[in-house]
Amino acid sequence: MKGVLGVSLGSSQRDHTVEVSMLGEEIELSRRGTDGDLDRAEQLIREHDGKVDAIGLGGIDVYFFARGERYVVRDGLRLMQAAQVTPAVDGSGIKDTLERDAVQYLLHHTDLLKPTTRVLMVSAVDRFGMAEAFVEIGCPIVFGDLIFSAGMPYPITTLDELADIARRILPEMAKMPFTMLYPTGKEQEKEGSSERFHEYYDGADVIAGDWHFIRKYLPQRVDGKWILTNTTTAKDIQELRQRGASHVVTTTPEMAGRSFGTNVIEAMIVALSGQRPEELGHQGYADWLSRLHLQPRIENLQGGSAS
Amino acid sequence: MTQATPDDLYAALDHFRGKVNENQRLRQMNRDWNRDISVVAKDLPDVQAWIRMRAGEMEWERQRCDDPHIVLTAPADVLIGIFQGERTPTEPYLDGSLTLRGSQEDVLRLDFVSLMIWGE
Repeated sequence: MKGVLGVSLGSSQRDHTVEVSMLGEEIELSRRGTDGDLDRAEQLIREHDGKVDAIGLGGIDVYFFARGERYVVRDGLRLMQAAQVTPAVDGSGIKDTLERDAVQYLLHHTDLLKPTTRVLMVSAVDRFGMAEAFVEIGCPIVFGDLIFSAGMPYPITTLDELADIARRILPEMAKMPFTMLYPTGKEQEKEGSSERFHEYYDGADVIAGDWHFIRKYLPQRVDGKWILTNTTTAKDIQELRQRGASHVVTTTPEMAGRSFGTNVIEAMIVALSGQRPEELGHQGYADWLSRLHLQPRIENLQGGSAS
Repeated sequence: MTQATPDDLYAALDHFRGKVNENQRLRQMNRDWNRDISVVAKDLPDVQAWIRMRAGEMEWERQRCDDPHIVLTAPADVLIGIFQGERTPTEPYLDGSLTLRGSQEDVLRLDFVSLMIWGE
């Protein structure tokens, strides 16, 4: 059996292990959260280096992207380099393809997305492919990178401005402790009850992007809106249902009752292929994604049945 | 290297104020951010500087700030370098020569302000 370990800076309350069968191969996927503890995450990676087939890095990015520029996150790189033998990946190898495809799928195979659909993307530098896909369709969009990471009431509405601000800020910000930029550990469990920034949620039909940013200022009522995000738990789904969200769409499929992060899916592909990430390259990943027929998971929260 | 003087620090603060206030986009970004910031130069103990951010505009005074939201402490040459745009706050923050006391969101926002200005 192949083994994939996902090491996350996120909450350990989201830990789980499942066994799945993919293309005739049995794989154990295990996710371990370190509650925001970077040192513990590094230690976990060192302990499992050479003992599993691939390691996924979750709750942290190694790279941010904007308009062809790549920004290296210092803490993320530190974790990646802790694995000397086993390939370690952060999901960025497949995120661009997977999330563009998810948007296209929603446009062509569902009634959820139209060119007039108003989108709030809580952060875009961590999923620039999704941002570009929405813009290409023509959706009116707000990028909330400054709102959700720094609490600045400044909606970015074009990819050009997003890339401009990223160019000014990210080379330096990426050197800062990641915990300053993104909720980790117990910060992820905090109730999103603040009254701030509700106008941006209210003005959108779909809230897209990282779940922990979405939840950060999530209003008590989001009636009729749908959510496009990465990983969710049963508790998250229940919370969205209670607040009136119509659907939740996750860009990664459900496996044994859970949606895994793109880092774990990328690590799974690395494990299945037996190749290192640099050998796989963009095309290699795209080929594997095509073979795996990964489609977004769509859950109708108010009607009860998945579509 | 010569020792930085209070006048060097005051000139740097004037320069910083000019850059903050002439940047329309930054003023828009900070329109809700009303904060008092105390600037402490470790090697100039008699110097008092109080930065006031109000509705996106910055003012500063040679006065002690008794109840600041953020306290910025560093050697004078580090503070001058940051306010003049000759260095970013990141490296002195990471190597410990610059300390920022305040809420995480305020500290991050102050970093954003300086990076938005000096990235011009």
